[in-house]
Amino acid sequence: MSATLKPYLTAVRHTLTAAMCLDNFSSQVVERHNKPEVEVRCSKELLLTPVVISRNEKEKVLIESSVNSIRISIAVKQADEIEKILCKKFMRFMMMRAENFIVLRRKPMEGYDISFLITNFHTEQMYKHKLVDFVIHFMEEIDKEISEMKLAVNARARIVSEEFLKRF
Amino acid sequence: MILLDINNRVVEETLTVKIKNSQTGLKNESIDITVADFDGVLYHISNVNGDKSKIRTSISLKFYKQLQEHGADELLRREYGSHLITPEPGYNVSVLLDLEDIPQDWQGFVKKLGLLKRNCFASVFEKYFDFQEKGDEGQKRAVIPYRDDETLYVEAKADRVTVVFSTRFRNEDDVILGKVFMQELKEGLRASHTAPPVLFSHREPPMELQNTDAKVDNNVGYVTFVLFPRHTSKATRDNTINLIHMFRHYLHYHIKCSKAYIQSRMRAKTSDFLKVLNRARPEKATDKKTMSGRVFVRRD
Repeated sequence: MSATLKPYLTAVRHTLTAAMCLDNFSSQVVERHNKPEVEVRCSKELLLTPVVISRNEKEKVLIESSVNSIRISIAVKQADEIEKILCKKFMRFMMMRAENFIVLRRKPMEGYDISFLITNFHTEQMYKHKLVDFVIHFMEEIDKEISEMKLAVNARARIVSEEFLKRF
Repeated sequence: MILLDINNRVVEETLTVKIKNSQTGLKNESIDITVADFDGVLYHISNVNGDKSKIRTSISLKFYKQLQEHGADELLRREYGSHLITPEPGYNVSVLLDLEDIPQDWQGFVKKLGLLKRNCFASVFEKYFDFQEKGDEGQKRAVIPYRDDETLYVEAKADRVTVVFSTRFRNEDDVILGKVFMQELKEGLRASHTAPPVLFSHREPPMELQNTDAKVDNNVGYVTFVLFPRHTSKATRDNTINLIHMFRHYLHYHIKCSKAYIQSRMRAKTSDFLKVLNRARPEKATDKKTMSGRVFVRRD
């Protein structure tokens, strides 16, 4: 793990642990509604100050919390065109499977690649520390996976072109 | 399977079965098969006028008219000789195989039939390779619209023949993957000293094609092969033609393969992520069974 990745992930882990302090909270505006406040945003007093943790310009995490839900948005490193399309494809692939992922939001927040929405119902059903582990694991793996895929594409391209030109 | 076959396996196998059956004395049965190949090419294998012993293999190419201008007919006559018959309506070339008069070297003949499409293409290249050998520079470039919006240009100079492919990427992501492949192809020259230089330009047509109606578009790529006399000489030209005319399919095939590979990796990784997420769920207490199979319920 590189020198800057560790403190970055540690900061995210601690912030998430602190932010994931959720309680069941029914809507104050509409009777019999119970919606994630961070999404509906109709009462200001229920929202907390959002936090941005950034490793560099491109890699950052936005954590918005509210009384009954938090939203985590992640911007993944994309150094060049090929990483950009790989990231786009991967995120699209995951978000199409959002119902399996429970905490995954179907659309990312603007400026970010992927968002998670964790509500009090999730924290009631699941272990909180394991949820944090999941987010950290995701962040660790996603960079690795994208660069591995990129290497695989490049390696294939090299073999393919060498094989073709060798025939002449 | 890195390289694609240039022959058509379906055509070859169908005809081989037919000939073998006829040689072992089985009754000839009627046949009517349509086979597709690259570049929207269609093969049609059928009987002539219901005569089960006469098998006609026809090919239809959308751009046969352009190929004819470059001497496709002569080349096919050279290759297939007396087996060539008047084309079936709706097709461009027809070759007849008579099961009552099977050629001595029928394996070779069947192989040749499998190469029907390749031989149609070869005429353009052979013609321009000849121009180059003679040092004839005055010829205008050949333009073959080998697919709906993809074109092949061939031009002969005294010391080289340039072959330019225009290829269209249907998808924006393919453009980027294509660029990676082309970049490697450009650098691939180091791997082999006999390979021709390859140039690639995205969007803009290369210098040779400026002032023509070559498309300028975000999804278009131009690949230029510069073939030197060592590629176009009589001894090596067949190999060069085989490689060059399959290049477009080769490139696109491998772009698709890479995408399939990426997809399979994403699938694996996603299920890995799901496993991690599911670890967050507390395990459900499962029912304990006694030896006799009854459910054990704790009472306390």
